[in-house]
Amino acid sequence: MSAPRRPTAPAVKALESRKRFALSHKVAPPKGNYRWVYLWEWPIRTMHWIAVLCIVTLATTGFYIGRPYFMTSGEASSHYLMGWVRFIHFAAAGVLVATAVIRFYWLFAGNQYERWPALFPVRPRDWVNLVKQIKFYLLITPEEAPTYLGHNPLQQLSYTAMYGVALVQVLTGFAMYGQSNPGGFFYATTDWIVRLFGGIQPVHFVHHVLTWWFIIFVPFHLYLAIRADHMERTGTISSIISGGRFVNKDIDYVDSDIV
Amino acid sequence: MLAPTSHPWAAGDSLGAYLTKRGVSRRDFLTFCGEMTAMLGLSSALTPKVAAALTAVKRPSVIWLQLQECTGCVESVLRTAEPTIGDLVLDVISLDYQHTLMAAAGHAVEKALADTIAANKGQYVLLVTGSVPTKDDGIYCTIAGRTARDILEEAAADAAAIIAIGACAHWGSVQAARPNPTGAVGVAEIIKNKPVVNVTGCPPIGDVVTATVVHFLTFGRVPDLDPDGRPMFAYGSRIHDQCPRRAHYDAGQYVEAFDDEGARKGWCLYHVGCKGPATFSPCPIFQWNTRTSWPIGAGHPCIGCTERGFWDTMAPFYGRLPDVGGFPVERTADTIGLGLAVGATAGVAAHAIATGIHQARARRKLPVVDIDKKEESGHGQD
Ligand code: HEM
Ligand code: SF4
Repeated sequence: MSAPRRPTAPAVKALESRKRFALSHKVAPPKGNYRWVYLWEWPIRTMHWIAVLCIVTLATTGFYIGRPYFMTSGEASSHYLMGWVRFIHFAAAGVLVATAVIRFYWLFAGNQYERWPALFPVRPRDWVNLVKQIKFYLLITPEEAPTYLGHNPLQQLSYTAMYGVALVQVLTGFAMYGQSNPGGFFYATTDWIVRLFGGIQPVHFVHHVLTWWFIIFVPFHLYLAIRADHMERTGTISSIISGGRFVNKDIDYVDSDIV
Repeated sequence: MLAPTSHPWAAGDSLGAYLTKRGVSRRDFLTFCGEMTAMLGLSSALTPKVAAALTAVKRPSVIWLQLQECTGCVESVLRTAEPTIGDLVLDVISLDYQHTLMAAAGHAVEKALADTIAANKGQYVLLVTGSVPTKDDGIYCTIAGRTARDILEEAAADAAAIIAIGACAHWGSVQAARPNPTGAVGVAEIIKNKPVVNVTGCPPIGDVVTATVVHFLTFGRVPDLDPDGRPMFAYGSRIHDQCPRRAHYDAGQYVEAFDDEGARKGWCLYHVGCKGPATFSPCPIFQWNTRTSWPIGAGHPCIGCTERGFWDTMAPFYGRLPDVGGFPVERTADTIGLGLAVGATAGVAAHAIATGIHQARARRKLPVVDIDKKEESGHGQD
């Protein structure tokens, strides 16, 4: 690439004036030696989008169950609104559990970015990078983000926490589900949860409150994905569709070695 | 009810002979046995067996202890519009020791207790209403100078069966609600070496007590229990799954205020805090006061009184979910959740702006380049 030409005097003046409106500067496209890394294999991508559908469905139907915000009128026998909403909730719950089972299998069968060690920031350098990553987001040292191909330690923590919350949601969900058939399979297998929480009402409460956790996760997740895509210019968002992103060959990625 | 002492059931008399003496017809008695058999969830083919066993049964010795309680259970169990055969069976039960109903007073009563225990070791049925305070050596409930714990332990030691009646005897009920100042606990927390049947509720349905006793008299053992010691025949399914308003629940028709159209039409009380979905009890079927009514039938949401810890876990009684404690302002989980979600969105928006400002500043520090000059794409080889 040729070096920029020395600007002429009027051009400098024009540029100087423009400089004051820094926001209008065009950002130079990324330069360097790029390669495409394949991170998320198709099972992970499929699971991601199925989980999105399930969670949206579950949160919507769940909040209806929690507070029926519209009602029917006329004869009870001609409606089955809550019945259907609950049916959809349970069906989506079943799909979510099925994807979770496959995800669990993929913790052992997936590639190095998908396997279980990639979910836990337990190496000493991860802790150092975790602090760096937090400083990066707090705009304290905004130029020095640790470079990860897969998930950085902060992402590892928050996504693993998401899995944890989803697990609690599934467990509390089945605990409530089991109540209609005492002595049945779900009742027997989730009895300990009801005891642990000290009754079924606290189970409802936890299930209800954790739904907000999912909802609060959405703006963070979307924002950080869009932000990364916008600032790093490596096609991050595309990676959950195509599976990979473009990264600079010259950068030493922290997690190119994890197993 | 008929005073227990007015037509005593003499020791040695069978129940059949006693009921005949009281003017109960054979037909009425068989009807009663049929009802009890159905209530216990047994096949109707067993009715003759129940009838035969009950007819032959000898007067059982029964001790009824009232500990830390309000006597509401006694009311619920014994008071009905007209005396039924069930009441007569329960009259029998109150014979040996029931300090509220007994004609005797003072030392005579305490002597009756001691004598009954001594004369019927391993044979008597022990009914208990009320909880046992354990704090400060149990001084918060004493009868004739002895603590509730002391009396209970003594009476339980030689009992053939122990039936804890009501939420207090089950787990402590209102006096055990947070912060439980007297350290009140249920019978099963004191008596650990014997099975305790919990006929729970605040108060429980009299028929369930009767049916449990009938089961014991007929089969010589207590009915099958759930993990919390409650008889399965009564506490085996949720109110919500037997509720006459359930069709409205499934249809999406809810009472929103106690004087609205839905309330008049008898719609589901879910929205105004009904705990039927969280409560195991036979209320919709057995009902109260000789099947006159029951809370949901009368338009009031269930408060979940047959569940352990209900004063704390089922509160607020007119709201679906527990309140978030510890806040000066009463805020529900949803207000907080919504606040956080809005806060998160505002937070990321603010962060986006901060990032933009930061980038703009950083860019200003860069050397000036001719940005209008066509540059090569950064992708690919340089
Ligand atoms: C991301 C996952 C999920 C979300 C966001 C979610 C959300 C909700 C919400 C908000 C409620 C209302 C709670 C209340 O106010 O009582 C609810 C109820 C319920 N959910 Fe979920 N849920 C999820 C997963 C599950 C799963 C996996 C199951 C398993 C079967 C499940 C079963 C139930 C049941 C049984 C109820 C109570 C329904 C009733 O009371 O009839 N949920 N859910
Ligand atoms: S009134 Fe209560 S128990 Fe009956 S259907 Fe409605 S929520 Fe369930």
